[in-house]
Amino acid sequence: MKKKILLLLIICFALCGCTKTESGEKLNVLNWSSYIPDDVIRDFQKETNIKLNYNTYSSNEELLAKVTASKPGTYDVVFPSDYMIEVMKERKLLKKMDKSKLNNLGNLNNHFMNEYFDQNNEYSVPFLLTMPIIAYDSTKVHESINSYNDLLNKKYKEDIVLLDDQRIIIGMGLIATGSDFNSKDEKQLEAAKNWLLKLRPNIKAYDSDSPKSFLITEEASIAYLWSAEAAIAMDENPDIKVVFPQEGSAKSMDNMVILKGAKNEENAYKFIDFILRDDIMKRIIDYYPYKNLHNDPDNYIVPIEKATNSDGTPNIAYDIPIDVIDKGYYVKNIGDSIRLYDEIWTVIK
Amino acid sequence: MKKDRLKWLLLSPVIIYALVLILLPIVYIFILSFQTSGPYGETIYNLTFYNYIELIKSIYIKVFAVSFGIASITTIVCMIIAFPFAYFLREKSARTKTLVTTLVMLPFLTNSLIRLYGWIVLLRKTGIVNTILMNTGITDHPLSLMYNTFGTCVGMVYTLLPFMILPLISACEKIDGSLIEASHDLGASKFQTFIHVILPQVRTGLFNGSLMVFIPSIGYFFISDILGGGKVMLIGNLIKNQFYTARNWPFGSAIAIILIIMTFILIGLYKRSGGKMDDLGGA
Repeated sequence: MKKKILLLLIICFALCGCTKTESGEKLNVLNWSSYIPDDVIRDFQKETNIKLNYNTYSSNEELLAKVTASKPGTYDVVFPSDYMIEVMKERKLLKKMDKSKLNNLGNLNNHFMNEYFDQNNEYSVPFLLTMPIIAYDSTKVHESINSYNDLLNKKYKEDIVLLDDQRIIIGMGLIATGSDFNSKDEKQLEAAKNWLLKLRPNIKAYDSDSPKSFLITEEASIAYLWSAEAAIAMDENPDIKVVFPQEGSAKSMDNMVILKGAKNEENAYKFIDFILRDDIMKRIIDYYPYKNLHNDPDNYIVPIEKATNSDGTPNIAYDIPIDVIDKGYYVKNIGDSIRLYDEIWTVIK
Repeated sequence: MKKDRLKWLLLSPVIIYALVLILLPIVYIFILSFQTSGPYGETIYNLTFYNYIELIKSIYIKVFAVSFGIASITTIVCMIIAFPFAYFLREKSARTKTLVTTLVMLPFLTNSLIRLYGWIVLLRKTGIVNTILMNTGITDHPLSLMYNTFGTCVGMVYTLLPFMILPLISACEKIDGSLIEASHDLGASKFQTFIHVILPQVRTGLFNGSLMVFIPSIGYFFISDILGGGKVMLIGNLIKNQFYTARNWPFGSAIAIILIIMTFILIGLYKRSGGKMDDLGGA
């Protein structure tokens, strides 16, 4: 009996040894959940022989908490959004990039480079972009919706789903009342709060995880949700139509960065360069229809039949046109005013 | 002496566990609650009561009130469901008891989030409950069964019911049947027997269960997010928001500390009303 146990122990140790000797090239990536399909990750490992440790998060704040709470070097590549780049830069968490190591950087459209949060793209490379837009079930909503104020119609009692996102929703109230999306002005914020309180009886739920399923299961007729979610909903139910509100909307760009203290820097560049390939981007977009930021002159990444509606107008859910993106507002850091926002959020919820 | 050393050795895992995973985080949260946070969410070390003073604002008091309201409803509903269940189980055979207790525990084997998503399928507009109600002609339009306070309460009661049932089962087991008989013989009505004979004997179990239902239902933010449609702001949601979106960890810590203090007050009330601490632990 004792011998058997001993044998078992030896086998166990031997197996432990196996996994250790196997570990050669590694890379630790922390990304949004549902953002890169599994087979793309698998192909990267096959092509480069780099073992990819892939973990996910579901908000920028969670990302920040994970990065600051772990030992430097735990993660190599992460995907923060615009304003979080500024925060992470300020908190000295990012490493300057050597762009000469990125052969596929030229695939990106220059229009999306040099954004406010990282002039000259010293620390970040754009990945994907999305904007919240209004989607509605055309069999139930017969009035035309062009503006946020159209949502105040008493007909839509408990029929609207909004993103569960403090800055986006208060920002929506601000632009609906004619103020700046990132306003710090107390009077303007008060007006936005009152506007949102007027909207409140029409709200079915706040949900960021899967607002599209409210439309698909007919739980709600109108949703203010990310463009890619709207695109998936349209695939499921062709009666769903989308509009870009005339006041404009928020926009959010996710970027690839290398963290300070990264242990696998060379592999990090290889990974970023891999993601920047047009064929890889096409596969990502096929799965998660966010707005790609590549030059795509021949509509290789997003085929023309997906990029346009049947009447020839651009399909803003699948492929947001550049002039629409330019009407979007980034969520910007507002310093201590965040407390005011948080109070308003507590009141309107 | 040697015996003592062995005792400490055996106790050490529990002591280390309590120190590292319970006491230290609470001390950290306590210290954090007197700090402020900078514009980028970094903690600025100083000593201020600002976070606690902030909490007196009417909007936060309202969140506390709503939270306590929902927690009270949840506790009372759990009691109403759990008590008859535990009471009648008392007379059943040991085998039935084991079987039923196992059935109560069984849902714990699945993730509570998955079980909550199951409720969505039941309660939504086109869900099973509404379909049945409409097909049988009980209502002519779908009822709003979730994405409101009602949905939040359903989720709370469902998730926390076992915490009320289990202490009540063990409390009811200890009821002295001869006292009930004596009560009847002496002419007490069923109601009087319940109030004066049965209730005092299960009081500890009831309080124990209530505490285990009440406290978590203040903090279970995910239930309000999923079944309340994110429209019901509980203390748990408020704390979560401070740690996530508002990036104000010190304020979140202050709310958490207040919650801990309130828990102690509840236990204090229990002790004052004659309850024993030993009974609380030994359900």
